[in-house]
Amino acid sequence: MDMQQPGIMNDKKIDLTITTPRGVKFVEKADRVIMRCIDGDMGVLPGHARVSTVLGDGILRILNNGIEKKLAVFGGIAEIDDKSVKIFSTIAQRPEEIDRERAERDRQEAETAIREESEEVRIHSLQAKLRRSLVRIEVSLHIDEDEYTEEL
Amino acid sequence: MSSLRDIRQRIDNVRSTEKIIKAMNMVASAKLQRARAQLEGVRPIYHELKRVVTDISRYKGTETHAFFEKRKVKSSLYVVITSDRGLSGSYNANIMSKALDHMNHGKNEKIFVIGAKGHEYFKKRNKNIIRTVTNINDAHVYYGAERLANWIIELYLSDEADEVFIVYTHFESVLNYVPYVEQVLPLPIKSEEYAYEDDMKYEPDIHAFIDHLIPLYLHMNLFRAFSESHTSEQAARMVNMDSAGKNASKLIEELTHMYNRRRQANITQELSEIVGSANVLSKGESHDS
Repeated sequence: MDMQQPGIMNDKKIDLTITTPRGVKFVEKADRVIMRCIDGDMGVLPGHARVSTVLGDGILRILNNGIEKKLAVFGGIAEIDDKSVKIFSTIAQRPEEIDRERAERDRQEAETAIREESEEVRIHSLQAKLRRSLVRIEVSLHIDEDEYTEEL
Repeated sequence: MSSLRDIRQRIDNVRSTEKIIKAMNMVASAKLQRARAQLEGVRPIYHELKRVVTDISRYKGTETHAFFEKRKVKSSLYVVITSDRGLSGSYNANIMSKALDHMNHGKNEKIFVIGAKGHEYFKKRNKNIIRTVTNINDAHVYYGAERLANWIIELYLSDEADEVFIVYTHFESVLNYVPYVEQVLPLPIKSEEYAYEDDMKYEPDIHAFIDHLIPLYLHMNLFRAFSESHTSEQAARMVNMDSAGKNASKLIEELTHMYNRRRQANITQELSEIVGSANVLSKGESHDS
């Protein structure tokens, strides 16, 4: 793992590519990418070791030149090497693509249903629904690109 | 000899058929545009995932994983993608004969057939159809492919099928589409190739990675195969309707020629009759005087 701090090595960036069933959706350079894997968050800086990992449902944070972007990514595979991060996922949504009302509705439905029903299988799928709606809501709040604070 | 009225009638018939053909041509070309956009969208992720799967097959230890391990083949599952509707030339015939050809090489087949045409064809030949899906709504294809992928995996892991093939039509261009039989499970192992020095690590571990990768890969593969077939179908129909439209125009032209010639012949005949009778009459007059 390269221990360079982001910002110092400005010429070294990660090439981030996100591919979905609708084509190559997102190509961008980034200083740092933080993704949600099935076993926790994972941060990637340039010069990372070659790793392939399984993504969970969560927020993909892309930090570039002091600007943070957030995307909702649900599952998929990430392939990481020293210069690039390739993400293959069925769904990757930008804040402006998210139907906020629908996400809120899904959240309410899922929350009330979880309270009422006790079947384990049903709860499992509803939890997924709730998780997704929460991710969508958080990402959609993030349309304005603002400064991010360094939390190293 | 058909009368003028019969020819007129035929021209009208062909003309209304031509109108229907033109409409179908337009529908097919609009659908082709949409199908192509969908196909172009799914191709990149499919190729990338296929590459990841190929990479992983070189990794030590994958050959014992259920999805890669070769088993003794007792029965083979075929997913055959055909269309619901005809008027698409040899599109359906090509894909079905390709599938049949492959099955006849000593396979104990189980068939999952998509499309009414394929169902008719295999039923007539007394093949073992275990499931049929017809009248697919374009909007449901994506999630349908996901369900189908899970169903295939379940069947495969419960030993009901020891190998899985998909039979689809690969779209190359509007005029060129090729039927393919592709083996999807078990996945091919490339271990005989030089195992290249790869420092790729898989997290959380290789087996968990494969367990997540393969359903995604199969989902994308089925969705892509369906998009390929669907695009080929629309292209085949468009090309067919185009040539049918041309034939109709030619037929109308020929019939119009025939109609005009007959009309002229009738006029000539009438004229000669008039002239003839006038001559007879004038001869009679000269006799009288």
